[in-house]
Amino acid sequence: MNFRSECRKIKRTGFLPAFIAGGFLAGAVPVLNMLFRSANYIKPDVNPVEVLFMANWQTMALLNILLVLEGACILYHTEYTDNAMQRMRTLPFNESGLFINKFLLVLMMCTILVAIEAAAIGFCCEHWFGGTVIHGAAGYMHICIEILESLGYSLLLVLPAALLSLFIASICKNMWVSLGIGVLCIFTATMLPADNFVLSLFPFAMPFQILAGTAPDTVYNFITACIAEIIIILLAEMLFLKARRSFE
Amino acid sequence: MNFLSLVCVEFKKIRRSKIILIMFIAAVILWIPSIVNARLNFKMDDVGISPENNYMIQGFLGMAWFMFPASMIVGIVLLNQTERGNRGIIKMLSLPVSTVKLCLAKFTVLLSLAAFQVLILTIMYYASAAITSRIQDYNFILPPLFVFKEAGLFFLAAIPMIAVFWLLSVFIQTPVFSIGTGFASIVPSVLMINTKIWFAYPMSYPLFIITYEYGKLADNMEASQPKLIPWIPVAAGITFVCIIISCLCFGQAERK
Repeated sequence: MNFRSECRKIKRTGFLPAFIAGGFLAGAVPVLNMLFRSANYIKPDVNPVEVLFMANWQTMALLNILLVLEGACILYHTEYTDNAMQRMRTLPFNESGLFINKFLLVLMMCTILVAIEAAAIGFCCEHWFGGTVIHGAAGYMHICIEILESLGYSLLLVLPAALLSLFIASICKNMWVSLGIGVLCIFTATMLPADNFVLSLFPFAMPFQILAGTAPDTVYNFITACIAEIIIILLAEMLFLKARRSFE
Repeated sequence: MNFLSLVCVEFKKIRRSKIILIMFIAAVILWIPSIVNARLNFKMDDVGISPENNYMIQGFLGMAWFMFPASMIVGIVLLNQTERGNRGIIKMLSLPVSTVKLCLAKFTVLLSLAAFQVLILTIMYYASAAITSRIQDYNFILPPLFVFKEAGLFFLAAIPMIAVFWLLSVFIQTPVFSIGTGFASIVPSVLMINTKIWFAYPMSYPLFIITYEYGKLADNMEASQPKLIPWIPVAAGITFVCIIISCLCFGQAERK
């Protein structure tokens, strides 16, 4: 199954505009926060990226993860309504290919989402910290790299949550069940204590992590755990599809 | 068909959905961290709130800020999906039933789901408080009259929010946007309760009520007294306008 037909399926679901609107909404969070409360954040010797992330990332990450969950639910909803899935299963290709393609689509959307957020944070840095905290071209260059690193890290950490939501969505035939389970998972993630490393490895809790101001060891651990989770969820999905195929 | 039998039909439609189970799991998940972190309730001296009050309020805050609004959105998706799956709504519209009644019946079901969730939450509060009292050797159980009054206030404050969510789902046909708008509207409620125009934002009412009760119970915290005069009329107005518009628009897209 090629990637292009996946893109064609989402044409009338409003998937793409939803992600772009979500990106702008999440991007508006730091801008509005700085607009109203910039006095709390602007101090002479601070790291602008760290300050902006500390102040806004919890809200932005929550928006991101809700959007990813909803996107995952919609992607499988289009398959399960009106029994389109049964037709898909009669075609000569693997059902796991469908999952991979849907995942690539979510990955692409997350990249757009994160790019919009990067632009928003970059704008905040330039507008409120430029000249006072950031000096010269080298300073700007440094900030740019830092923003890209931070959001690349966030993009990586959101992937296990995206995969897990797709996994749940592929199990449940009704969209509201997968949405309900996803909401429960996100709620659990917000209730988990932040200082416990093992608990913060829960896929839905990982997107709330921040790169700036974290020890390199911890970052390394998170990246390793994240890749491990991606592999585990992919394998679990393959096994699940095989099992379901042989029982249905 | 009279209204009561319509409501019964709507309940029959969702009988086999496992919404009750999901709501029950939500209530259990809500209180588990409270049981685990029960010791923190004794360290609230700077706020000046008694451990048993803090225990209850923290749980209700967690519910009000995310879980309750989110599960209402899930409930709305459930109600919509049972109709739109296999084009059930077309069959309903072909029956000699007024769409206004149909819409109101669905809204009643939604309100009952909300009431039921608040009830489960309260029952689970008592279960978890009993467990915590045993573990910590301190009485965490509050008098039922007080807890049910809080739960009742919480539910009443949530009605305008539910009406807005219902309007969104009736008005916006694409599920991505109705769910997405709902989710996106939950997130800023934390910011809205600290502004002067909080009463114009129905999604922040439940959280505002619980935060206000928190302020009342804590000695060292300032409870911002809700000004009933702009709030009650605005809330009632929003609720009625939302219900009327959703009744008028219900099933319009399908009838075209």
